[in-house]
Amino acid sequence: MSDRGDTLDTTGARPGAVGFLTDATLCIGCKACEVACKQWNALPADGPDSALTGFSYDNTVDLGATTWRHVAFVEQPGDPSPAWLMLSDVCKHCVHAGCLEACPTGAIIRTEFDTVVIQQDICNGCGYCVPACPFGVPQIDDAIGTARKCTLCYDRLVDGMEPACAKACPTDSIVFGPIADLLPRARERVETLKARGVEGAHVYGDRAVGGTHGIDGLNALFVLTAPPETYNLPAAPTLPQDNGRGAWTSTAVAAVGLGLAAVAALRGRR
Amino acid sequence: MSTTPTGQRREADRPRGLDGHRGRGVGARTAADEARSSYYGVPPIHKPHWKWLVVVYFFLGGIAGASYVIAAVSHLVGPKEDQPIARAGRYLSLAALVPCPILLVLDLHRPRRFLNMLRVVKFRSPMSVGTWGLLLFSGFSGLSALIQAAEDGLLGRGRAVGVMSRLPARAVAVAGTPFGFFVAGYTGVLLAATAVPLWAKNARFMGPLFLSSAFSTAASAITLVLSLRRRTPGEALHRLERLERAAMVAELGLLAASRARLGPTAKPVVEGRLGGLLRYGTVGGGLLVPLAIQTASAIAGRPPSRPISMLASALVLTGGFVLRHAVVAGGRASADDPEATFAYARRGLLETPPR
Repeated sequence: MSDRGDTLDTTGARPGAVGFLTDATLCIGCKACEVACKQWNALPADGPDSALTGFSYDNTVDLGATTWRHVAFVEQPGDPSPAWLMLSDVCKHCVHAGCLEACPTGAIIRTEFDTVVIQQDICNGCGYCVPACPFGVPQIDDAIGTARKCTLCYDRLVDGMEPACAKACPTDSIVFGPIADLLPRARERVETLKARGVEGAHVYGDRAVGGTHGIDGLNALFVLTAPPETYNLPAAPTLPQDNGRGAWTSTAVAAVGLGLAAVAALRGRR
Repeated sequence: MSTTPTGQRREADRPRGLDGHRGRGVGARTAADEARSSYYGVPPIHKPHWKWLVVVYFFLGGIAGASYVIAAVSHLVGPKEDQPIARAGRYLSLAALVPCPILLVLDLHRPRRFLNMLRVVKFRSPMSVGTWGLLLFSGFSGLSALIQAAEDGLLGRGRAVGVMSRLPARAVAVAGTPFGFFVAGYTGVLLAATAVPLWAKNARFMGPLFLSSAFSTAASAITLVLSLRRRTPGEALHRLERLERAAMVAELGLLAASRARLGPTAKPVVEGRLGGLLRYGTVGGGLLVPLAIQTASAIAGRPPSRPISMLASALVLTGGFVLRHAVVAGGRASADDPEATFAYARRGLLETPPR
C-alpha cells in the first residue's frame, strides 16, 4: 500500500497493459472524444431520448451500447466561486473484469493489450454482462441484439494507432499509453494539484492511493478532484463474482439441510 | 450491516466540499452528501433486461429440480405405498423442465446463437455453470421420466421399452439428485454474482431462498397433482405435507434474514406495489395462510378437506411465483437507485482488504 513509487505491482496491471489516463482537471467538456468515438466506431446518434436533458451540458447522460465515451458535467455550488467539474467517462477495462467473468459464451475476451473486448460475432445477447459490471458500462444494443461497449479501439491498436478519443482530445485530458507510464504520470499530476491546493485530487483506479479498493486496478485511470460518486462513479466497487464463493457455499448448505428434511419427512415406517 | 458504518463516523470527520477524499473518507459521507453527489439521479449501473421469461423460468426450474429430488428421496427412503409421490414427482419434473430451455433461448437477444453457451465452461460464471447443469439435469429428468413411463406401460411393450424399464431407477435417481438441487438453487447465485444491490448484498441468502421456495412449490405441485386422484393414500399426502411445511418455515426464516441483511436496500421489495405483492402474495398468502391451514388440521387431528388442501397448494405455488417476480423486478428497481448502488459499492472500503 505504501510503496507509491512502485508501478505495476500496486495496480495489479499486467506487464504490457495499455489503457487510458483521463484527467478531469484538464477536461473542457468539448465532447470531441464522444464524437470521435462515434465516428471511428460507426456508432449511431443516441436518438430522441437524448434530446436536451437539463443536466447541465450533459445530453448524453450515460455510457451505453452505442455511447462509449460520456462527458459528465457537474455543477457544484461553492465558495468563493462555483466549481464546474467535467469528466470523460469510459469502460475501465478492469484488470479483473466482472463482465468478462460473467460472460457464458466466451464472447468477452481479454486481448493481447490487456483490454476487454466483446466479440460481436459470438455474443448471443444473454445480457448477463450488463448487471455484472459495477461501473454500468456494457449494454445490449437492441438494434443488433448483442452487448456492446468500448473496445479501446482494438482495430486501431493493432495498427499501432492510439484510440480515437485520445487522438481527438484537444487538452490531453485523455491520454493513451502503457499503464506503466500512465500511473506515475497520474500520481505526479495529483501531487502537482495538491501542491496547488486541490486537496481532493486523487487517482481513481489506483489502489495504492485509495483507488477503488474492491477491484484490482483499472486499465482506465482517472484523476479526480471530488469523491468518485460526484462523477457517478462507485467509490469502492467489488468484483460481483467474488460473491459467488459465499453464495455457492450457503446454497450447498441449504441443499444438504433440505435434503435431510426431505429424508426425515418422506421416510416411512418400515 | 447496511449503511451503519456510514452513520457512525458521521459527526466525527465529515468531509467538506473537495477535501481529502482518500480511502476511508468516503465512508464518512452522510445521506445528504449522497443525495447531493448523485449525478442527476442517473443510475450508476445498468439493470438487467430480465422480465417474465426469466421469472417463469426461475419458477419452473425450481419445481423441476425440487420435484426430481422429492421423487428420488421418496423412492429411496419412502414406504412402498408412497409410490405415487415418486411417480408424480418424476413426471412433474420433466413437465416443468420442458419449457425451461425454450424460455431461456427466447430471452436471448440473438436466440439463434444459443449454442454459443456450449462453447465454453466457466466456473466463475454462474450462467455458464448453470447452462451445463441444466443440460445434464435434463438428461436425468428425462431418463427418470422415461423409466417411469416404461414401468407404467405408457410406452407400449416394445423391446426398447423392456430395456428401459429394467434400467436401475435407483442409481439414476441418486446420480440425478445433486443436479436437481443445483437447478433449483443456482439461479439465486446467478443473481447474487452481479452488481445489483438487492441481489449482491443478499448474496448468501439468495440461493437458499430460491432453493427452499423450489421445495415448497414442488411439494405443493405434487400434492395438487395427487389430490386430483382419489386413490392417493392420505399417509403419503401427510408425509409430503411435512416436507412442504419444513420448506415453508425455512423460506420464512430466509425472507426475514434477507430483510435484516438488506436494511434500506430492501426498499424496492418492501414498499410500493412490489412490497405489497411480496407481503400479501408470498409471505401472507403463500406461506402463513397455508401454514395456518396445516396447523389447524394438525390440531383438529384430521387432514384438511380436499378443496382446502388444493387451495393451500395453489396458494403456495402462487406465492413462489410472486417471490421470483418480486426478486427479479425488485432487482431492476434497485439497480435504478443510485443511492443503493453507491451504498453497496462503498462496502469495498470497509470489508474488502486491498488485494
